[in-house]
Amino acid sequence: MLSFILRRLAIAIPTILLIITLSFVLMHAAPGGPFSAERNLPPEVLANIEQRYGLDKPLYQQIFVYVSGIVTEFDFGPSFKYKNQSVNDLIASGFPVTLVYGFWSFVCASVLGISLGVIAALKHNSWLDYAATGSAILGSVLPNFVMAPLLVLLFTVYLNWLPGGGWEGGQIQFIIMPVIALATSYLAGITRITRSSMLEVLGSNFIRSARAKGLPAHHIILRHALKPALLPVLTSLGLSFVGMITGSVVIDQYFSTGGIGQHFVNAALNRDYSVIMGVTILVGSLTILFNLLVEILYAWIDPRIRY
Amino acid sequence: MLLNPKKIQQLAQNLASLPPDENSSELKGRSLWQLARARFARNRAAMISLIALLLIVIFSIVGSSLSPWDHEQIDWDAMADVPMLGAPSIQSRHYFGTDDLGRDLYARVIQGSQISLMVGLIGSLIAVVVGTLYGATAGYLGGRIDALMMRSVDILLAIPFMFVLILLMVMFGRSIYMIFIGIGLLSWLDMSRIIRGQTLSLKNREFIEAARAIGVRPLTIITRHIIPNVLGIVVVYATLLVPGMIMTESFISFLGLGVQEPQTSWGALINEGARSIQNGTLWQLLFPLAFFIVTLLSFYFIGDGLRDALDPKDQ
Amino acid sequence: MKIFTSLKLLFLASVLLATACPSSATVATHPSSGEKLAAQQVFTYRMGAEPPSIDPQLVEDVEGSAVARDLFEGLLTQKADGSLAPGVAERWELNPAKTIYTFHLRKNARWSNGEPVTAHDFVYAWRRAVDPKLASPYAGYLELTTLKNVSAVIRGEMPTTALGVSAIDDYTLQAELDAPLAYFPTMLVHSTTMPTPQKVIEQYGDSWSRPNHLVGNGAYVLTEHVLNERMVRVRNPLYWNNQNTILDKVIGLIIDDESQAYNRYQANELDKTEVPTGQFKRLQKERPAETFSSPRLCSYYYMFNLDKAPFDDQRVRQALSYAIDRDIITNNILGAGQIPAYTFTPGSTANFSVPEVALASMSRNDRIKTAKALLAEAGFGPSRPLKTTIFYNTSEGHKKIAIAISQMWKQRLGVQVTLQNQEWKTFLSTRGAGDFEIARGAWCGDYNEASTFLDLMRSGSDQNDMRYKNARIDQLLAEAKTLADPNPNYAQIEQIVATEAPIIPIYHYTGVMLLKPYVKGWPHQNVEANWYSREMYITEH
Repeated sequence: MLSFILRRLAIAIPTILLIITLSFVLMHAAPGGPFSAERNLPPEVLANIEQRYGLDKPLYQQIFVYVSGIVTEFDFGPSFKYKNQSVNDLIASGFPVTLVYGFWSFVCASVLGISLGVIAALKHNSWLDYAATGSAILGSVLPNFVMAPLLVLLFTVYLNWLPGGGWEGGQIQFIIMPVIALATSYLAGITRITRSSMLEVLGSNFIRSARAKGLPAHHIILRHALKPALLPVLTSLGLSFVGMITGSVVIDQYFSTGGIGQHFVNAALNRDYSVIMGVTILVGSLTILFNLLVEILYAWIDPRIRY
Repeated sequence: MLLNPKKIQQLAQNLASLPPDENSSELKGRSLWQLARARFARNRAAMISLIALLLIVIFSIVGSSLSPWDHEQIDWDAMADVPMLGAPSIQSRHYFGTDDLGRDLYARVIQGSQISLMVGLIGSLIAVVVGTLYGATAGYLGGRIDALMMRSVDILLAIPFMFVLILLMVMFGRSIYMIFIGIGLLSWLDMSRIIRGQTLSLKNREFIEAARAIGVRPLTIITRHIIPNVLGIVVVYATLLVPGMIMTESFISFLGLGVQEPQTSWGALINEGARSIQNGTLWQLLFPLAFFIVTLLSFYFIGDGLRDALDPKDQ
Repeated sequence: MKIFTSLKLLFLASVLLATACPSSATVATHPSSGEKLAAQQVFTYRMGAEPPSIDPQLVEDVEGSAVARDLFEGLLTQKADGSLAPGVAERWELNPAKTIYTFHLRKNARWSNGEPVTAHDFVYAWRRAVDPKLASPYAGYLELTTLKNVSAVIRGEMPTTALGVSAIDDYTLQAELDAPLAYFPTMLVHSTTMPTPQKVIEQYGDSWSRPNHLVGNGAYVLTEHVLNERMVRVRNPLYWNNQNTILDKVIGLIIDDESQAYNRYQANELDKTEVPTGQFKRLQKERPAETFSSPRLCSYYYMFNLDKAPFDDQRVRQALSYAIDRDIITNNILGAGQIPAYTFTPGSTANFSVPEVALASMSRNDRIKTAKALLAEAGFGPSRPLKTTIFYNTSEGHKKIAIAISQMWKQRLGVQVTLQNQEWKTFLSTRGAGDFEIARGAWCGDYNEASTFLDLMRSGSDQNDMRYKNARIDQLLAEAKTLADPNPNYAQIEQIVATEAPIIPIYHYTGVMLLKPYVKGWPHQNVEANWYSREMYITEH
């Protein structure tokens, strides 16, 4: 197992380099640059700006300078759009925010989703099944950008219970709505995958024989059924986890949380090259890391899986 | 090892159940499908959903003949006071009201249904076919090939996808087919991860090992033994992807690649409608959202019904 | 941990309030109007986006300018009606050749670290603005002032010290222009020309504009800045006119979505926000005392690519312009008091009166009849319909206008229009490269004078994406710079533009906002929306 982990970490480096190169080429190939605006800049001003940000150099040199900045100083460069901020600043100020609401969303969505899924599977095709799946689905059918305003109308405008947005260091009242909005959008997925996978396991022979042996139901579920049933859930949770802790553009913008979720779309729309690269590398590394974690857990869940 | 007794137990049970399973899929394939169909028909939620979905499809095809308005014509009178004159009414023959510009929402929802249903169906089809084959192949072959295939997925998941879409537009210009390419490029990635995980666990099962031992070719093992066993999760996951794809379409169109005005889609209509929550024109949100929700619920329940029906162990 | 930090914040807040109270307690009523003042002089407003910078020389957006106006003070400022008021400069003189301005600075102006504000600070700031090393996107603004050697400095051909600005002594600043420019003082309100503290900038580098580093000479100091969330500024006790400042604290909350901002306004979390698109009429009925619409120095227009046939034909361009009902767009789509535009420069521009153009006074039927005739003359009709594409960047508002216009052209002239939206940067690149026939455009004045608009019509202007060339206009513009009253020239240019129709003016913007009735001192008449927190106050409520 240790050699597997080491091997995977070793592959991660060229993978990330490839991600960097591909992203660099893609974003520079896209039309428009960080400094194009309604007001076209005079050519001499544009030339100065491009020189300052090194955009006048050939692409391979830019990539080289960029990568060596990361390797030597862990410096991801200055933001092209936010003139007095570096990418490190932007991530340092935004990532803790999304990490907090993303983590809680993950906890809520996975605990609730797995429980509902297990209940639905155990009471397969009964009203309880429909109620459990139905309630999980209901939370998810509303797109984020409809859910968020409805929450604000309810909790802020009518009930006056919660502030309509902001973060203020992450006090609980500012976290609730982002968590509800984000968690519900993942809930249906987790519930339904759990349900389906649980049904499959419950129908398998070893569970049937365990039942036949008269083992108590909760014992069967917890000791025998749940673990193998979690395998596909885990894959999907691993993907969701990265998605959640890196936030959501709708939530960051709607609730003014200041998280990094908004940078994924906005930096690309602004052609803020260095920020695009920063968040891309962040997501890339997190994806690789959590995939690895998921695979280690695979082996724990199903010892027959070997790498 | 502590796990050993259980493993042996499992082994015994699986071996015991192996022959009939194998036979049913190899020899009596037809009857399995028939059985599945019968099981599906008994599932009330799934059947109701299927009917609902069919109704929406039929509506999206023939519904436009019931309205005098088309999806792009502006009703200049209604436009002058949308909250009053643009409200749903039989009299003005704007059955679903109008949008902010006085265009008939009924006609626009119908037109949007065609696009969004197509996006949902084709997108999930690509996800199912490509994702399943890719994931199963990677998981089954394992080793270097697996590593290479899955690192490629990691890379595709990480690179800023927006630029791929923008470059597609720059190179090929705008067309409705670009949506399918755009969505197709993205939709199978997660699916392939899930299927690979399942395959990893399946490939060490006794029946696969047995097939391998008697020299069945890898491709045959993947298509005959692995894929049928992951079909349940494939169906469930595919239906989960539908709402995401319908919304992704509106993002692709936002970039300028996909649907262009006066054509529309559910994503675009809901986006516009979401602004109307406090605007006194709530119908602009409710009608497209209702279609969207009913379709999603239908997909979900049909997916669950299919899963149950396809599960050979389920009685 | 979290509880602890929130307690700490609470404590801090109460300390701040306690220190803020005495100053407001001493002014229980407004000195001139006599209105009762609220005990808490705090103003919370929506910022539409995180400003790219609040460093005066780098500021490039509206939100950043508003912050810079509070934190720094330039030579001149504006009164509520937009006319010039003394800032750091108490008065100025102009030499007979009208090329050298001498500004006399006030001696009581101080930086927030206690040091005096001197002419050298302005020299430093102006040189910094055009320094190729800083590479400010607004360096071009100083180029418009025609300061001596400015272009050569930007191009790096001359050192920044060659720029036509110098400190005669600590309190006398001299600016030398290449040619007379009547509206030069007007241009000095802009944040690019505000002074900046050399020592602080050299000490902290790029991070000098962070809350604990920033030193300014304005009425407020920056105390908190959380990226994409909030910006807080509190009064600066060292500001020379501090005793006449009433508002203690200004909080800008960054809220991207306008309807969400409206929600939070309703929940009393904001004192000011913008009216969400399309809701003006309704809100005006519901909250008449809080809803405001006032003209802005901005124009919305469609441009033709004159290099592309058939849009090289004046008749085609005119016909398309004639067939658009501006009032339908302003009344039914925008509905917030926007002004139908038949000429490019907004009527609200200082000293500018909108010339009468034929199109503006024609009836709808006449316009459509003329349009049809013009199009037929150009060879288009039912048998050979004109086909074209409108390019616009993706946005709800642009989309609605494009749809309405395409329907007007289709129904009235039989023109077959394809709509093509593109994501903003792609759109800019398409438009800049001339890969369009008709594209959306918008322009806001940099300073309050008609030339900031009409310069777009100059052959070879950086902003002239129409590729429009007219030697007469170039000549009129050049002349106007030195004229005591350039307005006849401007009127003539507008007439030429109306006839040749390189663009279709559509409407002039209004600023629409919701402002709580207890917030006073907002400069509604200021067409550039240059508001200063020090002019505002909160009445008892």
